[in-house]
Amino acid sequence: MAGVDLTAYLLVGAVLFVCGIVCMATKRNGIGVLMGVELVLNGANVNFVAFSRYTSLGLDGQMMSLFVIVLAAAEAAIALAIALNFYNNHQTIDVDRGSELQG
Amino acid sequence: MNFESILTGVMNDASWGRSLGLFAPELILCVSIVALLLLRLVNADRWLPSYLIPLFASLTALGIAVYSFFQMHGAIEGIPTPGTTQTMFTGLLAYDSLTLFLRVFLLGFLALVVTLTMLSGIPDAEDGPDFYTLLLGSTIGMMLMSSANHLLILFLGIEMTSVPSYAMVGFLKGRRVSSEAAFKYVVYGAGAAGVMLYGISLLGGLTGTLEMPVLASRLSALLGPGGMNDPTSRTVALAAMMVLVGLAFKLSVFPFHFWCPDAFEGAAAEVGGYLSVASKGAAFALLVRFLLAFTGGTSVDLTSLNLALGVGLGVVAAATATFGNLAAYSQTNVKRLLAYSTIAHAGYMLMGVAAMVVLLNGPGGVDAAAKGEAATCIEGLLYYLAVYLFMNLGAFAIVAFIRNEIYSEEISDYAGLGRQVPLLGACMMICLFSLIGLPPFGGFVGKFMIFASLFQAGKIHMAMWVILVIGTLNTIFSLFYYLRVLKVMFLESRPEGARRARVSFMPSGAFVLLVTLPLLLLGASPLVNSMSDAATRVASMLVAAVR
Repeated sequence: MAGVDLTAYLLVGAVLFVCGIVCMATKRNGIGVLMGVELVLNGANVNFVAFSRYTSLGLDGQMMSLFVIVLAAAEAAIALAIALNFYNNHQTIDVDRGSELQG
Repeated sequence: MNFESILTGVMNDASWGRSLGLFAPELILCVSIVALLLLRLVNADRWLPSYLIPLFASLTALGIAVYSFFQMHGAIEGIPTPGTTQTMFTGLLAYDSLTLFLRVFLLGFLALVVTLTMLSGIPDAEDGPDFYTLLLGSTIGMMLMSSANHLLILFLGIEMTSVPSYAMVGFLKGRRVSSEAAFKYVVYGAGAAGVMLYGISLLGGLTGTLEMPVLASRLSALLGPGGMNDPTSRTVALAAMMVLVGLAFKLSVFPFHFWCPDAFEGAAAEVGGYLSVASKGAAFALLVRFLLAFTGGTSVDLTSLNLALGVGLGVVAAATATFGNLAAYSQTNVKRLLAYSTIAHAGYMLMGVAAMVVLLNGPGGVDAAAKGEAATCIEGLLYYLAVYLFMNLGAFAIVAFIRNEIYSEEISDYAGLGRQVPLLGACMMICLFSLIGLPPFGGFVGKFMIFASLFQAGKIHMAMWVILVIGTLNTIFSLFYYLRVLKVMFLESRPEGARRARVSFMPSGAFVLLVTLPLLLLGASPLVNSMSDAATRVASMLVAAVR
């Protein structure tokens, strides 16, 4: 692993984060937006694990990323259930089509 | 240090005497969730009404919380007062006066909400156990939020609160608007949580710790001179801003408020009432804790960063209050109107928090005088929260009871209701007057305290005086849309052929009266003094811990 330093890991994390944000902002498909959220969470996870290796953050970073992985699964479960319910009522998961609540 | 010694260390710290005993109210709620789920296996939900377990659990936990609150403040004779601030579970949770205050606040509110759902019957017998599981789960999340002492708990608490709330908003499965509201809520919420997590990772990487009490000293050592020209300062500011985005989402603060009106309109009124009060209270406690973690230390650079943060929060607060009040004008749906009023009130309360940050980061540093004035800000915030609990729950409860009668939540359908059901009409009037902030109701006292602390903060930074003026103007704006509801209810006559509303005094009317009466007590009775004394003690204990 010689030659790979903290900056490289942070760069990967940042790229994942930006990809996720762009995905959330541009995708009109509900599932696509949720994929963007997963990218953002994993970008932060890469950061945590890298920081725990290279800085005094230590085990705290790895613990945090473990919790985030579990939490992402829980959030995905509930988000998919809600998306399914939305589909049952609207016959689409296009986020722009949910426009009955306005004002 | 081998694995066994770590394990024994953790076990000792989590023992009943050290942590678990202090965690008893949360444990009671956890046990009742398991009981709710297991009782279905033996078909007990067929003969046991599902609200009994959560009602019993919340009242028991409330009793314990009230007892420990008075115990900490030495009000119970003969019981030695334990240390003012201690931590639970190896420093993950703080056990201090704010923790206990919010516990009493949240558990009392939980008991009231369970009673409301019992009377209005929104989760039917079939769905009851599911609904109460979600309700209790998110309350535990809020209690974790209000006692967070570590950035891991900050994130976990927010998520544990949000995830059940998404499901509760979409609980009326067959309704189109309900599913749309839940979908929007989950998409916005998950996005905000992701941004916040990235901010936490930056903060943790920079300071090398996730424990909130040591953040300030680590940051003071880290920040270089030169303000925003220093790359470390810029990263710290960015990270703090990202964490605040997540909190601002929970508080429905401008510009992260879009989900709030949609979620409240789509959800049942009971759920809207629950979310508007409980998640706001917990998120404000967490915001105060997070901002206090940034305060202190000796670095001039950290102080100037914090001052900028405080003024920024004040500007955001003023924008939130203005936007909430302006958007409420054109609403035709009561729940949507109350949602915008919730946004406006989040703005007022955020002004108090901003004043606290500004006062603690003045030129004099964190001296005794600054601490005293900052404690007044927190006192105002806590008083406002206590009043807000009753006035918002009262308004949402009345909306729920009226919905059960006339099957509508449109303001125009409320015509003449004030004369048809005088009790609900009068209580609605008290709630709305208190939301406006008219004396002699509790809302006036809370608003006055917050504006007074803004005035003090103006002596350190002129911008706070501008924010104070905007806040006062907003109070006058808000008069018009609240009064419009009352005008429809009282001055217009009930149209021919409209559904007749019949709300009996027992139990619905009595519940509404029970929730509305404290507004008068907290506005004009000796209770004002005892309540503000309790809030002062909580605030000064909290601020005393800042170094």
